[in-house]
Formats: sequence, C-alpha cells, structure tokens
Amino acid sequence: MCSACGFPTTQGHWSEAGAGDAHQRVRARFIRARKLDAVLRRYGLTAHDDGLTPGLQISDRTGRVIMARDLRDVWIAVEKLLGRAIDPLDPHFLQEPGP
Amino acid sequence: MSAVPKNRIRLLVLSGFLGSGKTTWLRHQLHSGLLRSRTVIVNEAAAAPVDDALLADLAQVRTISGGCVCCSKRDAFLRVLREHCNQSQPQDIVLETSGLAEPAAIVEAIRADPLLVHRILVEEVMVTVDALSALARLKHDALIRAQIETADVLVITKLDALEEDAAGRLAATLKRVNPGARIMGTVKGEEVALPDYANVAAEELPLLREIPAAGPIVAADIEIDPAVGWEVFSVWLSALLHARGDEILRIKGVVRTPNGRVLLQCVQKSVLPPEILPETVAADLSFDNRLAFIGRGFDAKRLKQSLKAFCG
Repeated sequence: MCSACGFPTTQGHWSEAGAGDAHQRVRARFIRARKLDAVLRRYGLTAHDDGLTPGLQISDRTGRVIMARDLRDVWIAVEKLLGRAIDPLDPHFLQEPGP
Repeated sequence: MSAVPKNRIRLLVLSGFLGSGKTTWLRHQLHSGLLRSRTVIVNEAAAAPVDDALLADLAQVRTISGGCVCCSKRDAFLRVLREHCNQSQPQDIVLETSGLAEPAAIVEAIRADPLLVHRILVEEVMVTVDALSALARLKHDALIRAQIETADVLVITKLDALEEDAAGRLAATLKRVNPGARIMGTVKGEEVALPDYANVAAEELPLLREIPAAGPIVAADIEIDPAVGWEVFSVWLSALLHARGDEILRIKGVVRTPNGRVLLQCVQKSVLPPEILPETVAADLSFDNRLAFIGRGFDAKRLKQSLKAFCG
C-alpha cells in the first residue's frame, strides 16, 4: 500500500479531523455536546458530556442512559431510545413539540 | 501501444462509479511516474471541483465541472480537446470522468467529431470498481453495469476490504459481465494480486430490463456558512448520514476547520479518513466550504433548509 502519495489523513472518528491540538479537541467536544443537547431536547432526550468520561451520555426521560463514543454512536443511541431515527430531511425536523 | 500512428494523441479514459477510487488510482499512477507527461482532464458532475486540487501538483490539469462530459458538458469537453490538439506539442491525455458518466458516450462523441477523430486515439477505457459496494450495486443500478460493460480494464479498488473468497466472487462476476476486460486489483492505487477466481461461481445478476428504474441522481452544491463551524456542521452531517446514508451516493468537498483545510469525502454511509490539505494546494480557494452532495431522494433546497434550521 502506498503511503507516499496524497495528503496526511487523520485518525479516529472523521469529525475529529477538525481539531489539531488538545485545546481544539476540548473546545470541539463541548460545542458538539451543547448543540446535540439543544437538538435532542426537542425530542425529549438529552446529551451530556461531563468532561471526564470519554464520550457522551444520551438519556431519555425515563432515565435510560446510553454512552456514545462518537457521533456515529450518538445517532444509533438516539434511534434506540426514540424508536426511530431523527431524519434531518424530514419536513418536520426540529419542529417537534418541546418537552 | 507501438502501433500508435504519428501525430495521434493518446487518450486514456478513466471512469467508474461515484467514490469508486478514480482519483486515488490516478494520483498513485502520476505519483509513481507511470502516466508521465500526461495532461489530465478532470470532469466532475458537481459544480465545486475537488479532484483537480488533488492532482494539481502531479500533472497539468484542466477541469470541466458542473455536469458530465458525456451529456450536458459534451461541447465544453470537445472544445477543450480541440484546444489541446492545437498546441504545438500536445501531451497525451488522461480523462477522469465524473462518477455518473457513461464512457461509451464519451468515446462516441470523439469519434463523431470530424477533427478529433483524426487526432485522438482512445487508448483504453479503464473503469474502477469499488470492492465494497460493486456487487450490491450491480444488482440495482443500470449505470454501473453500463460502465463495467464498456471497460477494457477493470480496476477493483479497496481490495484489502474484502476477504479472499468475496474478492474472487467479485472478480468472477465482473468477468461474466464483461468477459473481454482485463481485471486487476488495487489498494490505494497500487496493484495487488487477485485470488485465483477461474473456478469461482459468479453472482447471479438480474437482467438489465429487470432492474427497476431508480429516481434521478441529483448533484447539489451546499455552501457552509463559516459562522456555522466544523463542530456543529459535523453533528448535522452525522445525523444525515445515519438517517439517509442509503440515498447519499457521494459527498465531497473541502471544509475549513480550526485544524486547517479538511478534505471530506463520503461514499454512501462511510466517511473516508479526512485528509488535511495544505493551504497552497489549490489555486482556487473559493471552493472551500462548498460540499457536493450526490444522491437520490433529496434536493439542494431541502438540504440547505435542513442545515440552516439545524445550525440556526
């Protein structure tokens, strides 16, 4: 396998490519958690990053919690808790009644 | 290729479905000097070109974007070829088609042109075949069948992703679809040996007329507002890939992030490891933060509305 052509690729989940150092990684982590929480609350779920445990905690109102390591895991967890996937192209996306 | 008449410019047509590894293959050949001194013509269905930036350091590149050279950009393509032929010492050419192009129509267009037919010799049609998705796609998609049928050489890419028996089955199936083509295996552009598939059974494929007509494939250019930021955008995109991964055929583009220019590429649900591009690689940075979405079941308006609603 040739590793000489092309540009350097990044490791880990693809979304982590946007952060180069520890400071950027921490910042990215909290921006993501805040955004996710705001979106998921419309669907009766929450996202929480305590800053210590790696990953995000996705929970529903009955207290079920699923740990998600990365964004791929997040949407799998959301689908499990809601019983359906959140479809960003659904015309009602983000228009669900709040809690 | 010793029988090439003088004054004929050789043209290698490199085709293959969206995300099947055309640019990766070409990049490696150029890098290793196998296609030395060739002018590269890159055709992209989307308006925001990316491939030219990846090849710019390796060859002289001309780009035709915003449609396929086999149909809507056919005249532009013939014009580029004529200009090329008018140079005093024109180089041979590699044409990297868009992933939606039909190679046969391109070859036909050159043959039908009274000038080009005497100047250009279509050397070979190479078609890249994605080891991961080709078998499934051959059953549902008439376009990939047409691409494979017209190939002189079939290049199975990402071969390391398949077990040996699956690789053998894919090669045997390709052999059945196009018995005349030479079949080779590659990983990141480098040739690797295929398993012996002489006695392997080919996958049963439906007849072409039995494949139901699929909805049209659309190409949408989505601009990401720099204020949105990579972090929020990646949350939106990951949701989209989870919910709509089967309808998205290809996403690619360069996004500005705190870590620099990130080349983002998806082939259906799977996101390729992003590459960090140097600031200088493309002369034209104006295409940064514009992503091409190619697929079925959505349109540009809906994508834009969704992104806006999400990030607002």
